Amino acid sequence: MQEGTPLQSRQINRELLGSILNSPKWFWMAISILGFIVLAGMSAAGILINQGFGVTGLNRPVMWGFFITNFVFWIGISHAGVMLSAILRLSKAEWRRPATRAAEILTVFSLMTAMMMPLIHTGRPWRTVYWIYTLPFIPYDYARGIWPNVRSPLVWDPSAVYTYLTSSVLFVLVALIPDFAVLRDRTTGLSNRIYGMLAMGWQGNPRQWKLQIIAGVLLSALILPVFVSVHSIVSWDFGMAVSVKSWHSTIFAPYFVVGAVHSGVSAVAFVLILLRYAYGWQNYIRHEHIDALGRLLVVVATGWFYFFVMEVIFGFYGREADEIAVRNLQFMISPWNVWMFIFVGLTYFLPVAIWLSRTCRRNLWIMSIACISVNIGMWLERFLIIVPGLARKQLLTFDWYTYRPSSVECLIIGSTFALVTMLMLLIARVVPLIPLYDIKEGEILRTEIKIGRVSVPATFRED
Amino acid sequence: MAASEPKGHGLHAGMWVFPDAKAMSQDVSTKTTSLTMALLVTGVLFILGIVGFVARAVVDGFDDIAPWGYYMAVFSLVFMITSGAPLVAVAFRFTKSHWRRPLSRVAELFSIVAILNLLMFIPLMFLLPDLANPNGVVEGQLELRRTIWFEGPIGAPHAWDLLGVAFLVITSLSILWVSAMPDMAESRGIATGFRGWLYNRLAGHWYGTRRQWNTQKAGLALLGAFYFMTMIFVHFEISSDYAQSLIPGWKDSIFPVIYSVTALQISLGAILVTLFIMRRWGGYEGYIGKSTFWSASKVLLGVTLLWVYHLFAFFITFWYGRTEVEQNIVKYLIVESYGAVFLANLVFSFVAPFALLLWNPVRRSAWGPALAGLLAIIGGLMFNIRIFVGAANASEGSAIYDQLLEHVPPPVYPDVWDVFMVVGGIGAAIFVFLAATKLLPLLSLWEVKEGALYQKWGRFMRGEYLVLGKPE
Repeated sequence: MQEGTPLQSRQINRELLGSILNSPKWFWMAISILGFIVLAGMSAAGILINQGFGVTGLNRPVMWGFFITNFVFWIGISHAGVMLSAILRLSKAEWRRPATRAAEILTVFSLMTAMMMPLIHTGRPWRTVYWIYTLPFIPYDYARGIWPNVRSPLVWDPSAVYTYLTSSVLFVLVALIPDFAVLRDRTTGLSNRIYGMLAMGWQGNPRQWKLQIIAGVLLSALILPVFVSVHSIVSWDFGMAVSVKSWHSTIFAPYFVVGAVHSGVSAVAFVLILLRYAYGWQNYIRHEHIDALGRLLVVVATGWFYFFVMEVIFGFYGREADEIAVRNLQFMISPWNVWMFIFVGLTYFLPVAIWLSRTCRRNLWIMSIACISVNIGMWLERFLIIVPGLARKQLLTFDWYTYRPSSVECLIIGSTFALVTMLMLLIARVVPLIPLYDIKEGEILRTEIKIGRVSVPATFRED
Repeated sequence: MAASEPKGHGLHAGMWVFPDAKAMSQDVSTKTTSLTMALLVTGVLFILGIVGFVARAVVDGFDDIAPWGYYMAVFSLVFMITSGAPLVAVAFRFTKSHWRRPLSRVAELFSIVAILNLLMFIPLMFLLPDLANPNGVVEGQLELRRTIWFEGPIGAPHAWDLLGVAFLVITSLSILWVSAMPDMAESRGIATGFRGWLYNRLAGHWYGTRRQWNTQKAGLALLGAFYFMTMIFVHFEISSDYAQSLIPGWKDSIFPVIYSVTALQISLGAILVTLFIMRRWGGYEGYIGKSTFWSASKVLLGVTLLWVYHLFAFFITFWYGRTEVEQNIVKYLIVESYGAVFLANLVFSFVAPFALLLWNPVRRSAWGPALAGLLAIIGGLMFNIRIFVGAANASEGSAIYDQLLEHVPPPVYPDVWDVFMVVGGIGAAIFVFLAATKLLPLLSLWEVKEGALYQKWGRFMRGEYLVLGKPE
């Protein structure tokens, strides 16, 4: 499956380094607008810290709201990197080539954004220093007996997320080395020195290529368990809570992981479409790539839907009053049932209906709508897991409560989207968001095979 | 010889084979080696199974499900393999993997064994206790036991389960028919006797026009999608009605998923074992390159990891939850009563295949993936014994309608009739598969021929490598 005309190495360098060596006119304008939104979000966070949690809509028993929803959402987006980069690299899917770098970088930024959410949610983020600050020998909170349970998923969470963040950064950097060398050879002054340092003496000799490929494959294989563990552990933040019946479900871990892949891959498909328009990369991000992502997403979405159905059916299966109360809220009581309807429609039925049509998969506008739809739906999914569960946590009905997010929360959440977009644009200014060497490798391996009177696209394969 | 020597460099030596499309049909038709001895041995086992079944029926009757745990286990083992195998063919056809071509027909032939499964299911239908508590409203018991059928539509669960299994068998047979049509059409002129009659009946209209090919491929895609959905649903039915629903208080949303993943693992294992036997002793080495084992082994490794991941997700949630019923279920199925079986299950389904498949040289061989597949099948048997014998014996009489499992029941060991039924069930499945190979060739000729067009050995830089065509 190879469309488009063959590309020359010189042309690849010129076109893909264009975003770094020559900024487009709209670039700083976009950065300014996004920066303004981020500043507004930071101000809202400042207000929250200054005034306390009273400025949010959180109240008992719903003490997890928009912040935790957003945390789970961004962790989910981060799963695109490994899915597209590691898994498709190991499976030698040719169409992965233009998508990997953007997916890996999106992983890093979304993880960073996700980790800000629990910090903001603590209300007093500076106190987190006590979690690791040892005086005289043990962390402050442990010394006071406040955080005694190291077996809590809330302790596993940062461990898993930071391991994933570290390995994702390493993954990106290893893959960037040959491209840093190209940039080193095309820049001067300070940029040249920085790229030279990052290229770590890369000359492109056979030994270096061999080591780089081995490192890539090894990291791909090693990062897979980390990838699965991250969202599994996030799911266990919920799943281990016996007191919230609708959360204590054995399927939560794979359900969360598949959901994460669903939202992450959709996000990457949307980012690729944006990059294609923004930087004129029509030769690299072709319709065939978006088409392939669409087909992959049909499978992922259907897998996700299966887990969703299992989760709901077994919610009713137990016939326990407290769980039925949650399900009743989710499915029968307005506005939650409306949100539920919208969530399922946006996450599965609308996008899959689109992706089943080849014409729609190859129409970038329609694909953009489908991808955005999935992400709105997946955000809602997390919200509808968290809030109704807590709202009906207590068995006694006079303890039931609901949740209405405040403008401060909305502003903070909105600014995280601006932040990730801004960071993606900024990074596009310093590293190529499509890997040069990967595209060149694809071009070298590209060939044709003659069957009768027809020429069929083909590739050289070693195994 | 209808195939060239296998090609490949260094570590990948012998990876690829290049069959001669013109000589293939003739060559494959000569490979109908006599299976009389294998048929005889498995036929004897089949009879042993029938003896065990009849003895169990005479001794215990069909009123109580408890003595039939081992029968349920062997039914489920065969059901898992026969329902999972066609999906393997469907899935890799969907992903357009070239390496799948030699395994497609082997996988689809398991749908003939599924007919046996349908017959084995009929007694199980009568064994399943009613949803409604015969004692009506009793304190501490449910009026209607926990079930995926909730308020119990007409015929639930018995008729719906049978309908599901029957539908699955019909769909898998349809896939086999549509897939084998070009091969049957090719042989209808030369085949004699029953085969000639069958080929004419089933493929008499096939002339290989462009329209027919397009229709066949679209039909396979549609049937495949339909089969996938049906299989997932029927696995959900069987795993819930015959396992989860029989243990009071066992509420485990991941169990149907574990069941399906186990089915995929052991069906892929069974396919790899069959391919290895064909390649090693059947004279098919010119058609089945190591690339098929190399690629399938990666999938097997992935499914093996998925299996343990799902199992861990179940275990950690129950272990951490620490409610009384969760602890009892963990003790019953994992730690105490069936602890030894669980250990064997874990070793054969995960530890041993994982330890084998982790190594590239093993994955690149033909024996490695096949051995891992065989181990996975043994693990699958342990899984089914643990779950289904456990489920059938979790509660006595009307205790099945209890709210929760309040104690940890003891394990149930097999008696001689159970052993007969287990051995006989496996033997019967092999017997039917071997008999099926008398009807259809083990190789999907049209797919292997098509694959031969898309690959060639070409020059690249200073060496020669495989050139693989990807038409779409």
